[in-house]
Amino acid sequence: MKVIEAKGIEKIYNPNKIPVHALKGVDLEIEQGEFTAIVGPSGSGKTTLLNIIGGLDRPSEGSIEVGGKDISALSDNQLIDFRKDNIGFVFQAYNLIPVLTAKENIEFVMLLQNRSEAERNQRTNELLKAVGLEDKIDKRPSELSGGQQQRVAVARALASKPTFVLADEPTANLDSESTSNLLDIMAKLNQEENMTFVFSTHDQRVIDRAHRIVTLVDGKIDTDVRR
Amino acid sequence: MILKMSWRNIWRSPLRSLVVMGAITIGTWAIIFLMSFSFGMVKSYVNNAIRMETSHIQIHTPAFKEDREVGNLLPEAESKLATIKSSAEVEAATVRTILNAMLVAPKGTRGVIARGIDENEEIKVTEIDQQIVEGSYFGKGKNQVLMGKSLAEKLGLKIRKKVVLQFQNLDGEITAGAFRIVGLIDSGNKMRDDGSVFVRRGDLNRLIGSEKAGHEIAIFLKDAEQIQAKTAALKTDYSNDLIESYTEISPDIKLYETQIGTSFAVFVGIFMLALIFGIINTMLMAVLERTRELGMLMSVGMNKGRVFGMIVLETLMLGLVAAITGMILGWITIQYFSGSGIDLSSFSAGLKQFGMSTIIYPALDGAYYLQLTISIIITTLLASLYPAYKAIKLRPVEAVRKI
Ligand SMILES: Nc1ncnc2c1ncn2[C@@H]1O[C@H](COP(=O)(O)OP(=O)(O)OP(=O)(O)O)[C@@H](O)[C@H]1O
Ligand SMILES: [Mg+2]
Repeated sequence: MKVIEAKGIEKIYNPNKIPVHALKGVDLEIEQGEFTAIVGPSGSGKTTLLNIIGGLDRPSEGSIEVGGKDISALSDNQLIDFRKDNIGFVFQAYNLIPVLTAKENIEFVMLLQNRSEAERNQRTNELLKAVGLEDKIDKRPSELSGGQQQRVAVARALASKPTFVLADEPTANLDSESTSNLLDIMAKLNQEENMTFVFSTHDQRVIDRAHRIVTLVDGKIDTDVRR
Repeated sequence: MILKMSWRNIWRSPLRSLVVMGAITIGTWAIIFLMSFSFGMVKSYVNNAIRMETSHIQIHTPAFKEDREVGNLLPEAESKLATIKSSAEVEAATVRTILNAMLVAPKGTRGVIARGIDENEEIKVTEIDQQIVEGSYFGKGKNQVLMGKSLAEKLGLKIRKKVVLQFQNLDGEITAGAFRIVGLIDSGNKMRDDGSVFVRRGDLNRLIGSEKAGHEIAIFLKDAEQIQAKTAALKTDYSNDLIESYTEISPDIKLYETQIGTSFAVFVGIFMLALIFGIINTMLMAVLERTRELGMLMSVGMNKGRVFGMIVLETLMLGLVAAITGMILGWITIQYFSGSGIDLSSFSAGLKQFGMSTIIYPALDGAYYLQLTISIIITTLLASLYPAYKAIKLRPVEAVRKI
């Protein structure tokens, strides 16, 4: 089953001033359960592509369907709701709400989804366990290490039971041990929950763990390798 | 959860929040205290005026109001008094004979108002006996007079000395009587102490030639809340007479009472204006330094309505917590002073002129706390709109991208 289907995506920043042609016609399909790395040199358009797939930004040209639904026609507020129910985000940094504990951060999106308390508690505990942070349940982000914060972020991204998880350089700020730890967790959730992951990275060790590697060069897909 | 977030967000910049909250707290406290002080002052003035001069309700014949002429008697004053006294709301009532008189003393002559009072009933209405600073209230013997200590001093009079009061009798002839000074009064109101003397009504009535004469009935009610109702009732009972409540007798009291409400509104208005800018500034800073976080919240699915609500809620809590603290502090301050009052004796010379007591008991109606709370809620809500609007105008991509 196709989770993402992007066709002819172009993105031009600042079309009126100094135009930057960040994506020059990208076609990309992602199947349910794939574990995909988007790689490429700096400025090649990785973040731009992820933002468009994630409904954070709109393409200048082309269409994008998520779970069979065309998201380019949605209004800003509809897009927010769409992201809430369909996409889990893990950013490079500043993922978590600083005034909430690990548990509350994970619960947050489920609260926005109006899930019952029982369901929230169960899912939160399950996910905290999956990312190995049962003992940090009541810690605030500032009391957690960078790696632990990213693991909470992954748990948070999965909490809403999204169609897929998008992660833009999730390990960029982590040391190698935390990096491999986070990837273990992502790979495990990919296996166990058949969750689709799309992440960008510069890190060769992360690339090595991916099942599919899409390489962007200068706003175009250069190679697309499945392993 | 949003409530929890809003509350915790306030404490992310504790210093900044505390500065704003402190300003609101102090402002609220100051308004409460200043207003309670002003109210206390007005109340003391009003109560003083009621107790010493106007009582709650007075009855005259309409002509007396225009011309304080001996002939403008209140018809059947004594039987009316008996009826009024027997009604349940009335604590005390008395009848008076009131004449314009010349006070002739060895050192000079002065125009005064001679009030003929029933010695036992009068003190239930005006407590005039409490204000005697030298000598005593009426005792044995005829033709006794009480006068202001300040007036006595001006005329070089002392206790036990005799003065002559001259006035017209009911036949229009000038008559006079010699009166002995038995007591000197200091009511706290110098203007009145200088302008009137008190004698027995019986003595005056004998001189003007009518045992039953009376110009004025003064009524003191058990409960001041009843004044309007009782005034209206008396107006129907005695439609030929002029029935006035204290605010009609003494319009300056009424003016005072409305004035104080106006000054409250002005105070509050100025405070709110200062408040609105302080809050906008603080919340704008709070929103701007949280750009990335707000972008993240919108990215993961917090919609604009909720983001807007969160900022509004945060502002509201900031304002309300501070305002309530200020009000509690104000209330405590009022309680602290309401027992013993605030002694202004060092400034009292001026106050006494105007018939105010030198000890002010601050007091503030609950309604004003409510008004202030509502004003602060409205102001805070208004002040939160712009920062909240700024927050939802953020575009999540740009917010997330910013390093
Ligand atoms: N908001 C923007 N306005 C203008 N140009 C932009 C904007 N965002 C990105 N660009 C440009 O678009 C191109 C692609 O940027 P993008 O961030 O997608 O690259 P990237 O592959 O994620 O790079 P990196 O590996 O450094 O994160 C770059 O040339 C970048 O300068
Ligand atoms: Mg990037």
